[in-house]
Amino acid sequence: MRAIRIAAVVAAVALVAAACGGSGPGGGAAVKLTDGKLVIGVINDQSGVYADLSGKNAVEAVNMAIADFKAKYGDNALGGPIEVVNTDHQNKADLAGQKAQEFYERNNADVILDVPTSSAALAIAKVANDEKKLYINITAATTDLTGPQCNKYTFHYAYDTYMLAQGTGVWVTQNLGKKWYIIYPNYAFGQDMEKSFRAAVEKTGGNVIQSDGSPFPNQTGDFSNLLIKAGQLKPEILGAMQAGGDLVNVVKQYNQFKLKDQKITLAIGLLFDTDISALGPDAFAGVVYTTPWLWNMDDQSRAFADKFLQKTGIRPTFAHAGNYSAAWQYMDAVRRAGTDDADAVVKQLEGYSFSDFFIRNGKIRSEDHWVMHDALLAQVKPQSEVKEKFDYAKVLSTLKAEQVSRPLADAGCKK
Amino acid sequence: MDLGYVTLQVFNGLVNGAFYALLSLGLAVIFGVLRVVNFAHGAFYMLGAFAAYLLGLDAGVGFWPAMLLAPLGVAVVGVVAERLLLRRVYRLDPLYGFLLTFGLTLVLQDAMRIRFGLQGQPYATPDQLGGSVSLGIVAYPAYRLFVIAFSLAVSLATWYVIERTRLGMVVRAAIERPDLTRALGIEVGRWVTGVFAFGVALAALSGVLAAPMRNVSPLMGSEAIILTFAVVVIGGLGSIAGAIVAGFAVGVLASLGAVVNPALENIVVFAVMAVVLLVRPAGLFGSIESA
Amino acid sequence: MNAGRAAGVIAAIGAIAAALVLPRLIYSVLALDILLWGLFAVSVDLLLGFAGLLSFGHAAFWGAGGYTAAIIAKQLSLPFPLAAAAGVVVAMALAVPLGYLAIRRRGIYFAMVTLAFAQMLFYVANEWRDLTGGENGVQGVPKLFPGLSVSRSIDFYYAALPLVLLGYVIAWRIVRSPFGHVLVAIRDNEPRAQALGYPVRRYKLVGFVLSAGIAGLAGSLYAIGHAFASLDLLHWTTSGQAVVMTVLGGIGTLWGSVLGAAVVLFLRDWLSGSFAEASGVVTGAILIVIVLAFRRGLMPALAVAGGLLVERGRRARVPSERGVPGS
Repeated sequence: MRAIRIAAVVAAVALVAAACGGSGPGGGAAVKLTDGKLVIGVINDQSGVYADLSGKNAVEAVNMAIADFKAKYGDNALGGPIEVVNTDHQNKADLAGQKAQEFYERNNADVILDVPTSSAALAIAKVANDEKKLYINITAATTDLTGPQCNKYTFHYAYDTYMLAQGTGVWVTQNLGKKWYIIYPNYAFGQDMEKSFRAAVEKTGGNVIQSDGSPFPNQTGDFSNLLIKAGQLKPEILGAMQAGGDLVNVVKQYNQFKLKDQKITLAIGLLFDTDISALGPDAFAGVVYTTPWLWNMDDQSRAFADKFLQKTGIRPTFAHAGNYSAAWQYMDAVRRAGTDDADAVVKQLEGYSFSDFFIRNGKIRSEDHWVMHDALLAQVKPQSEVKEKFDYAKVLSTLKAEQVSRPLADAGCKK
Repeated sequence: MDLGYVTLQVFNGLVNGAFYALLSLGLAVIFGVLRVVNFAHGAFYMLGAFAAYLLGLDAGVGFWPAMLLAPLGVAVVGVVAERLLLRRVYRLDPLYGFLLTFGLTLVLQDAMRIRFGLQGQPYATPDQLGGSVSLGIVAYPAYRLFVIAFSLAVSLATWYVIERTRLGMVVRAAIERPDLTRALGIEVGRWVTGVFAFGVALAALSGVLAAPMRNVSPLMGSEAIILTFAVVVIGGLGSIAGAIVAGFAVGVLASLGAVVNPALENIVVFAVMAVVLLVRPAGLFGSIESA
Repeated sequence: MNAGRAAGVIAAIGAIAAALVLPRLIYSVLALDILLWGLFAVSVDLLLGFAGLLSFGHAAFWGAGGYTAAIIAKQLSLPFPLAAAAGVVVAMALAVPLGYLAIRRRGIYFAMVTLAFAQMLFYVANEWRDLTGGENGVQGVPKLFPGLSVSRSIDFYYAALPLVLLGYVIAWRIVRSPFGHVLVAIRDNEPRAQALGYPVRRYKLVGFVLSAGIAGLAGSLYAIGHAFASLDLLHWTTSGQAVVMTVLGGIGTLWGSVLGAAVVLFLRDWLSGSFAEASGVVTGAILIVIVLAFRRGLMPALAVAGGLLVERGRRARVPSERGVPGS
């Protein structure tokens, strides 16, 4: 009788411990944090053209991930408090690098997340390498992060220009037109988009007759010079590689200059739901684009989107969801490693295979730290087919992880 | 070279010139009477655009009434700034007025950034001017043609008032021969607030005009003001006609530079300024006295 | 005179000691920023305070130095003092034509012309992507020094300190030299200086070029220190920031500029943690208050406070010296 009671108590204690203390191998091996707490830094644009698509709401997504992680593994899951610090880099690469160094050195940040604006992302990757701390990029697209400028401490989550070009560039060239005029914001992101799309278009038998850069940031929001030029060059496809607020302006002026009537079809390199919100779905209706994720693609995505809507009042973009997912996977790697020591966490992440509501068929390539996963080819619906707010797109097909991941041989990554 | 493209660029140049002309005109009038180079002129231009944007957003006021209301509202801000701040530095070296208005620019610009973010806010083109007009070889957006015509009309009206009316005589005298005017005992002082308000209203009006073409953003004034300074150095602050002519000429020259190479567009303005400094340091229309 | 020299020596030793302990007291990157922005502001004061020329385009030289040093350090893997030296040379070379044109105008026009030329350089750097990287900037600039590792920010602070101090000493020597006295004479009464036979324009130009060299030195070390040269180095707000620091510290006080830099940067650092990062509102408001009510700046106010202390001490020891002119 007594033995049974003791056994029951032991079992109950073990259960509680398992529930609270995490479920690592050995049943709750405590995590030891190097400085007693885990600090996650989020650096992004909180006032400029990319503020809507990530911005403050991306910080909120990371906070949600922490809350959910604690709910699952217990408040002390990682052996100490988990803090978030965030700042606005104003899309300036130098400011981003400076803030990253400050986060790592002064705030003891263990990891930095998000960072739209590819030039800023590249600057932070350098700082991460110098400081030997982690950086998981989500919202910057340049393939250089996993190419010539890759390093041991930098990971690339969510999407890159190669993925977008393999999805959109190939499909548009096959189905809509082979003669392209590409316009791109003239900095790391746009330059890389131009390169990736050119390669994808030419591979598919198309032809880029010309490409031109636009200033970034474009203070005036005026793209009329390039659109006038498009009217003169008469391509079949106008490939707009601008993003966020810039893209909104391009689309607006594309409609103003009535280029559609001249049989110049608009192709969009990178599209977020927030861009569609800005002008309404009809301004984009029919546009086919590539995205790593859509908030209403299935039930588990929708579940996250519902919670996010409650917190922020909007549906999440893939950048918001990506920040949540990356924060979660980082914390989980710390849990598995039993420490926040950067080298140990890197070891946990490299080669790791996983799926969550955001990443499908995910695998973190050890060679270049690109997070392989499936993407979607989607099409913007006209207003008449929109059933609820932010319901803008339908999925045409799934793009397999291998299809949208740059072959390692082309990456040129030497860590 | 494609004639259609050149034509488009010339008209784009006239549009830019329309803004330079209005801005440097206001700058010249203010400098003439107050002896202050108003660094905040760009900030008032930005405020004008924001006023139109907010009037539309919060009160449903359209473009046409905003053309009147926004400059009036911003002029009130200008009057407050003049009474509270500028008034105190008239007797000092003009550099202090420059520094003071620079400080004012930082405050206004940053306050708007905090409130509205750096992302530009769109402002709709008025319906009546939404289409485009054929220029023979190419079509050109009607609104931009309106900007050229309207700016020209305002510039000429201002020029007329200053050349032909009594108020204008005082202002002109103050601008062209400041020392002589004071020596003759003409009291410039009582015109000060009104003239400042007028100059500020001109800047705000340019801002309203810019809103449908460019985005409404806190930094829109900063680039405009520096190019306007270059225009003012070229034209000379001492002449109303100089401000107008230099404004349009510089706009067109810059756009023709862009025909040769798009990278040259802004650089041309400064190159012209360098040449003018070499050949005629006082500016094309300036007198040595105001140098 | 001896007492004055002794006070100067004490002040200099105090300043060097303060510079040595600064990065132990505050974040080392902030410490280096204070020294370099201070030097930059000193170069502005050299023109404004001692030649009466308000350069509103000194970012041109800070940026030219920064880009040159960054590109050279990165492409040629040169030790940072050599890269900085190259930055100084380019900044001064650039100052010759720009200065030659700018000094053709005086007063407020001079300010507008320098502002415009700096903006031209900004556009040039933005368009010349092959060299400057355009919007991406020059990233990953190495901090090299033979036989030493100076890549950590605190190590670089001490490695760069001698060069920074050299910059300060040069500025001080210029002000104290006969050349500096002529500049002041020109500032106070240009026609008279001309009548006395001084080649006024040449003096102004040399002053402009020297000032640009000091700004270039500060900018070079700034770019290397931050491992980055970006368009912000050339932006008009950068010029404006330096002017604010100078005016805040006190025009014509030279060391006041360092004080002004420290105040502005501390404020900015403090605000960056706050909700709005309202640094523009705050620096703008400071400038307005200074211009309206406090035109002599912080340094004279401090000097008055310090002077009272010195005076009191002196009075206790040598009462007879009271009232001696120049004390």
